[in-house]
Amino acid sequence: MPIIVNLDVMMAKRKMSLNELSEKVGLTLSNLSILKTGKAKAIRFSTLEAICKALNCQPGDILEYVEET
Amino acid sequence: MSKTNNFVFWSLYIVAWLIFVGLSIEAGGLIVNFFFSLYNPDLVHNLYQKLDLSAMYQQSKWAFYGMYSFILFIAILKAVMFYMVIRLMHNMDLKKPFSTFVAKQIMLVSYFTLGIGLLSYIARQLAENLTHHDIVTDHLNQFWEDSQAFILMGAVIYIIATIFKKGVDLQNENDLTV
Repeated sequence: MPIIVNLDVMMAKRKMSLNELSEKVGLTLSNLSILKTGKAKAIRFSTLEAICKALNCQPGDILEYVEET
Repeated sequence: MSKTNNFVFWSLYIVAWLIFVGLSIEAGGLIVNFFFSLYNPDLVHNLYQKLDLSAMYQQSKWAFYGMYSFILFIAILKAVMFYMVIRLMHNMDLKKPFSTFVAKQIMLVSYFTLGIGLLSYIARQLAENLTHHDIVTDHLNQFWEDSQAFILMGAVIYIIATIFKKGVDLQNENDLTV
């Protein structure tokens, strides 16, 4: 998929575990895992807002576009 | 799901089972008769449900075996179709119906229904053709008089299956939306 989710990179930078992020964002661990492993088909703006707030970052820090070869 | 809907669903499940058993007995009886008629043609005058095809057998063996094959194949397809319906109703989760399995089963039921309808229609046309060759086939109409109904039902179920498949795709996309 051309959109890559760099959630684990941001989590490592902020030294935050998946459990901690899950509690702060209000998402279940399974949903966060779906997002982290790149299996998600879509993300709600509300979720993106909550993640950016929890990790103190911009959407561009989490989402990256890589053209398919 | 309300109690009334649940009751209707399970009632339909039981009715489907009863119809499946009846159709299986019919198909089984026709298969047994078919093999016996190969080795003992005297049995042709007293087939399943007292069907008498002795006149057709004497006039043309090809016509007999052709028509009987159609009857047999249609009976088997009907039994298999009802088995598909039972399997669908047994494995379906009413709380979460939009699954790949249910979509696939409904599509299979539509294919079988269309197949039965088309085969019945072809058999009916062939039977009508045989009457031009002085072979009596009126007593066989019971096996394919509902061909148009099956084609209509098959078309409707196919449309429902297509919409259901779209529903499953939307469900899957929703499940993967965080």
